Amino acid sequence: MTDISPKERLDRALLGKPTDRAPVVCPGGMMNAAIVDVMNKTGHTLPEAHHDADKMSDLAFDVYENTGFENFGIPFCMTVEAEALGSAVDFGSLECEPKIQKEIFPSVHDAVYLPIGAIEKTLRAGSVIQAIHMLSAKHLDVPVIGSLTGPISAAASLIDPMTFLKQLRREKETSHKVIDYVVNQLISYAKLMADNGAAVISIADPTATGEILGPKFFDEYAVCYLNKITDAIHEIGVPVIIHICGDVRMVKPQLQKLHGDVLSVDAFVELKQLKTELGEMRTMGNLSTYLLEFGKADEIFNQAKHLTTKGIDVLAPACGLSTSTPSENIAAFTTAVKEG
Amino acid sequence: MAKTKQELYDELSAAVIDMDEELSAALSAEAVEAGLDAFETIDQGLAKGMEQAGQLFDEGEYFVPELLMCADALNAGVDILEPHIKTEERAQAHKIVIGVIQGDTHDIGKNLVKLMLSSSGFDVIDLGRDVPPDVFVERAIAQGAKIIMISSLMTTTMDGMTEVVRLLTQKGVRDEIKVAVGGGPVSQGFANKIGADGYSYNANQAVKLANELVGR
Repeated sequence: MTDISPKERLDRALLGKPTDRAPVVCPGGMMNAAIVDVMNKTGHTLPEAHHDADKMSDLAFDVYENTGFENFGIPFCMTVEAEALGSAVDFGSLECEPKIQKEIFPSVHDAVYLPIGAIEKTLRAGSVIQAIHMLSAKHLDVPVIGSLTGPISAAASLIDPMTFLKQLRREKETSHKVIDYVVNQLISYAKLMADNGAAVISIADPTATGEILGPKFFDEYAVCYLNKITDAIHEIGVPVIIHICGDVRMVKPQLQKLHGDVLSVDAFVELKQLKTELGEMRTMGNLSTYLLEFGKADEIFNQAKHLTTKGIDVLAPACGLSTSTPSENIAAFTTAVKEG
Repeated sequence: MAKTKQELYDELSAAVIDMDEELSAALSAEAVEAGLDAFETIDQGLAKGMEQAGQLFDEGEYFVPELLMCADALNAGVDILEPHIKTEERAQAHKIVIGVIQGDTHDIGKNLVKLMLSSSGFDVIDLGRDVPPDVFVERAIAQGAKIIMISSLMTTTMDGMTEVVRLLTQKGVRDEIKVAVGGGPVSQGFANKIGADGYSYNANQAVKLANELVGR
């Protein structure tokens, strides 16, 4: 297994097949690796690359080449879906990632349902699809990970989140209707990503944590709709990464119900332990993003080496990377993993 | 009247814990009609209920949706009682300036802290999300705030917290205005490192911290 390609290695790792070593990736989206260091070096910069397919694929390639992550990860934010479905977005700057300026609907009752397929009809989602196509066609050995905003986070980017969270309890029927609508839109968009060459779909849902929702609503909303998306993507034969933020202790029984191929978690979750509790599902993670930003390269190298001894299936940052993370720190991480 | 004052307070607490807006409003109107002191009714009834809701949140019985609904029940009562608060009681509230630091727009945590503080009798000035460090400092000085509370959910934005502490020192008001920090990537260690006066890991703890910082 000496000349295994990064694409095959990731595919094998996600499906639990034997590999020479664990891959080290950064999926994009919430876990965007387009750091300031790389952009300053290559001149392909954000926020421009959020819009244009050529710039997006150039920057994704720069990230791949300069960080050592063994994948392309796009888009570089988690606002594409909500923007397409109506919310206003502030595109940020070189250092600052885009964010939802204002959620378009004050409550679940105000939601306007667009025809399915609305996301990919927008210019920006179109650029993401096109960039995926270009990267996957040009670099056959490197997996393109298409990043998706999770169902609860995407819905909370359309509906004022404070009202939305209450309505999950108070207005269940309408809440389900809105989330199901968002999910159907996400599925349509994700399928198009896969059709255009995305080897993996990664779903990050930072609003859907056990700490925010509690086990009951995590089960009723997060697990249910993450599985609906996962099942639809599995139908077309593409593996799925699911990232759950925060402390997962209180939702461990619910995590076991997730259909994703691999579960990615935050730095303070002990993955070795979690792995024994997940059954079929593989694990991904979880090098501290705080360490990556503020640590010294040799500390990071050692910590990454330590992580490789824990039987984690895919190595990755534990959460969203700071855009001011030094590129030598990320290189120390990826080098440590590749040395095995 | 069959109900004693304490019974009414207990029912108000229960209405908040049970997330019952209508009952909270009705009982508050009952308290006004019975001529009870509005400030005391909020403090001993509604706020007590919110305090217990915070306790349930700490214990993992309640989560964010429940806590938000308790706050709605609390506010339904406060809306009715507030106009009846005597002015001399009003002046005692300590001011806290709160916001999410620049670059970060996740404000669920900040909003929770705000509502817990408000229900504990603090006068909370909410600067919203994506707030630059100098705005925290300027507003705190202008408002005579005792505490600045800063929230961050991304490691990217933690530097802004350091800047707030630095600006307070530069303007010579570091001793008058306390700084408390919180949010996902923030820790007690980080708070110590940047010279903040306190750290809290959740909304309920933030109230205890604020009380300590103003010496209540």
